[in-house]
Amino acid sequence: MARKTNKASDKVTLTVKDKKTLGSIRGMADEVVQSAERGRAPHVDIPSRSLSNVRFNQSKRIIEMGSGSSRRELFNLSQARSYMQTLLVGSGCKQLIEQGKTTSIRGLFYLLKHTIEGTREETFDTQSECDPVIEDVEVALDAMREELHLYAKNAGAMVGPITLVDSGDEIDCARMGSGGYSIPSIVEPEIVQFKKNTAKFILHVEKDTVWRRFNEDKFWKQHNCILTHGGGQPPRGVRRMLHRLHHELNLPVYCLLDNDPWGYYIYSVIKQGSINLAYESRRMAIPHARFLGLRSNDYERCQLTPSVQIKLNDQDIKRARQIASYPWFANKKPWQKEIDLMLKNGFKLEVEALISKDISYVTEEFVPARLTEGVFLD
Amino acid sequence: MAASQRDISVSEFFAKNRHLLGFDNPRKALLTAVKEAVDNSLDACEEAGIVPELWVHIETTAPNRFKVGVQDNGPGIVRKQIPLIFGKLLYGSKFHRLRMSRGQQGIGISAAGMYGMLTTGKPVKIVSKISPRKPAHYFEIQIDTKRNQPEIINGKGEGEDIPAGEKGARYIADHGIEWVSELNSGTRVTIELEGRFMRGRGSVDEYLEQTAIANPHVTIHYVDPDGTQTTFERSTTQLPPEPQEIKPHPYGIELGRLVTMLKDTPATTISQFLTTSFSRVSPSVAQKLCEAGKISTRSSPKRIGRHEAEALFQAIQTTKISAPATDCISPIGEALILKGLHHQVPGEFYSAATRPPAVYRGNPFLIEVGLAFGGASPAQKVSLDTLTELLSESDSRSVRQFLMTTFDGIGPTGAEKILSEAKLGPRQTPGKLSKEEITQLHAAMKNVNLTEGQTMQVLRYANRVPLLFQSAACAITQAVIGTNWRSYGLTQSRGQLPTGPITVMVHMASVWVPFTSESKEAIASYPEIMKDLRLALQAVGRKLSIYLNRRNRVKQEGERREIFLRYLGEVATAVASIKDYSERPKKDLYNRLLEVAKRKTSEADLLLESGSAKIESAAEEFGENVLIVEEQDGQENEQSLG
Repeated sequence: MARKTNKASDKVTLTVKDKKTLGSIRGMADEVVQSAERGRAPHVDIPSRSLSNVRFNQSKRIIEMGSGSSRRELFNLSQARSYMQTLLVGSGCKQLIEQGKTTSIRGLFYLLKHTIEGTREETFDTQSECDPVIEDVEVALDAMREELHLYAKNAGAMVGPITLVDSGDEIDCARMGSGGYSIPSIVEPEIVQFKKNTAKFILHVEKDTVWRRFNEDKFWKQHNCILTHGGGQPPRGVRRMLHRLHHELNLPVYCLLDNDPWGYYIYSVIKQGSINLAYESRRMAIPHARFLGLRSNDYERCQLTPSVQIKLNDQDIKRARQIASYPWFANKKPWQKEIDLMLKNGFKLEVEALISKDISYVTEEFVPARLTEGVFLD
Repeated sequence: MAASQRDISVSEFFAKNRHLLGFDNPRKALLTAVKEAVDNSLDACEEAGIVPELWVHIETTAPNRFKVGVQDNGPGIVRKQIPLIFGKLLYGSKFHRLRMSRGQQGIGISAAGMYGMLTTGKPVKIVSKISPRKPAHYFEIQIDTKRNQPEIINGKGEGEDIPAGEKGARYIADHGIEWVSELNSGTRVTIELEGRFMRGRGSVDEYLEQTAIANPHVTIHYVDPDGTQTTFERSTTQLPPEPQEIKPHPYGIELGRLVTMLKDTPATTISQFLTTSFSRVSPSVAQKLCEAGKISTRSSPKRIGRHEAEALFQAIQTTKISAPATDCISPIGEALILKGLHHQVPGEFYSAATRPPAVYRGNPFLIEVGLAFGGASPAQKVSLDTLTELLSESDSRSVRQFLMTTFDGIGPTGAEKILSEAKLGPRQTPGKLSKEEITQLHAAMKNVNLTEGQTMQVLRYANRVPLLFQSAACAITQAVIGTNWRSYGLTQSRGQLPTGPITVMVHMASVWVPFTSESKEAIASYPEIMKDLRLALQAVGRKLSIYLNRRNRVKQEGERREIFLRYLGEVATAVASIKDYSERPKKDLYNRLLEVAKRKTSEADLLLESGSAKIESAAEEFGENVLIVEEQDGQENEQSLG
């Protein structure tokens, strides 16, 4: 790390959170020093982020991380490289915090990427090698990504009768044109504050294309709601935003997703958290989120034509069975029925399929009907 | 039709079918002539108990014509026998006895003389001396192929005597023969023949070198057609124990042979016949055989009928008879194999195994195997001058072919590598390379790592005679290919020789080596021979695998350490940056981590240390008959075990 650190020039006031994070990064470095002094092999214990180490908390109804962890050692052939990378990420984050700056995970990748002295080997070959290590550091230090001064790219947008303050700028989400407010990856209270809200609920749709339909038809104005999308699987920023809107403003969340295994899983992630980021569930999961559609029986209810069917492939079927067996779906009869019906149908449906009825069928008839019916999957 | 039917003489037959004797092409003919003369000389010396010293002289007399002279310090030949030995095919002392010797049939040297006569018209010249006081005999002989009889040309059909002293020396000079005169006794045979002198694989050079490996008690002075003198020095003066002549062993005697023997025996009773005609048959064993065959021990062999002979034959198969005497075979011995291999084949690991004698068709035989691992391939040892010469002599169509045929251990992939390194086209003619291109080729041959593409080199011996041709047809090659070398840590494709820098020498010693043809180029694959070959190869293979495992372990640990060391610096820097360390504590941390890394990979240090304690542990690991050569600071350090 032969990089210049211009500590001396600018004094940065560290927040309490920053000091705590710096402390845990130092703890990681202390372990190396102590091991070396005692002649032992240094290691880091990283809580494991796999299905085997997550637990569904029945009372809180969220996915929580178990206590299982895997040890990463310097003197182990298969782990030496990733051990080195773990410490590099630690030192990179320390630098960011001290300088009071934030960077994208791609930025950190470039900050840390260099040729190892005396070899032709790079510390990181690709960003995909760096990203999991960052997540490892997050869990190992029990620090959230923003606490490490890192963010991901913006994905997802929102629009609706709400005014918020983002980094000091006041933003009226009812006046965001056709693009909407782009949800940043860090939406913690220090950065984003809610100012005024008249919305009654949140409608989260899967993709940008559907979201545009709703925005163009001014659905949120007619129904007085906040309209969001997450560009497929919603990133942390979008999930955290939904979580805060839901908990702080008491807005119920309804999801309009495709009728396929991936749609089911997006709902599952919003509702009880993801397996990979189980440690973030408590500040992201929304156990009260509702599944509005598309349901497997909507094909008949809406009298769709066979031409909108997309045949299930082997992977879809496998994934559907897998989802059905997750503990948080296993005990829910309606969901088992729902998944069974899709498998029986043998096809999946995209939300866009409703456009075959009429361009604005989904905003003018389908969603309003479901909302007045008040029948949702939970 | 009937008028044209007549006898065929042996010499006529072989004159027409000279390929059966190894005279099929000029290149091989030259080698075969040298080989037959050398074999005879060595047999003669050893039988007389003389430590052999040989002079091999090849001289160009005209394009594609060579004068081959081979002289020994043997006992010499009595005057009467000389013409018959050198001028009559199928005349010899070795055919009718069961005794381990190089020559067997009594064809070789006379056939070489006949070939010389056919191609150049020159007679075979023989000088032989049996005692320092007596004059040497000098004969010029031709073969009358029609009658298979020698024809003496000089001295009015009687040969001439060369007087001792100066007068004799002048006589020798006048007749264009060489004679190393300070010897008490000895024989020199000079044959002029049409041939081709080549170097590389299947050459006289290679034959003599391999002879030296398997015969560490022999000194050979060799002068090649360019006048270069090479001496293969002996590494021991101890002669191999003299092999004893034996009778056939009852196991493996065929029924037909048994019937013939019964008919021909002078013995009066079956019991007497069995005890006198076979080895390892005592009167009590003979009695057991007779009982099992339901024959009276006192019945006359002449009266044994077909059925009784068959019963006796069955009895032999089912009765337990001890293995044939082993003193009829003289193995090279594991110690001398190691010595010989180490002398001629550079390497880092040597191991040898001698099998206990076994029997095929009633003939005792014994298999010995030596293995050398490591070292540079012959292609990397060749000098620039030799390479230039080899190229100019080569008759290969392309450089690629030249590389593959001239050097052992260069396969197609190896040749490709060398050519691309030397930036030469694969189809360039070897003879037309410029000086610069040859220098490039030479440098490429030195630099390219051939270890991976190198295939195992197999040196085959039968009764200490190197076998250079027809390797694919030979039982030894088949056994080497049939052995699963992968389980000993080498790579090997199915039906191929294993790859790697390995040389294996296999020696079959027997009172009667079953060659596939009269030219004695390949050993027939009898199941009993194959089995012993396999077992011997496995014995050396096991030792090799122990060595390779140890080497790999050290190498792997070394690689592990290297990986750790690579990341240590990064880790130390990252920790230092987190803890705001200055250079000093960072260096301390790095050094401490280094200590831990070294301890974790301590096995990598094994190679760096050496001492008496190590040798003991190695001996425990390998067992006996292993030679490990470790190079340190340019000097060789040998650990000889067992």
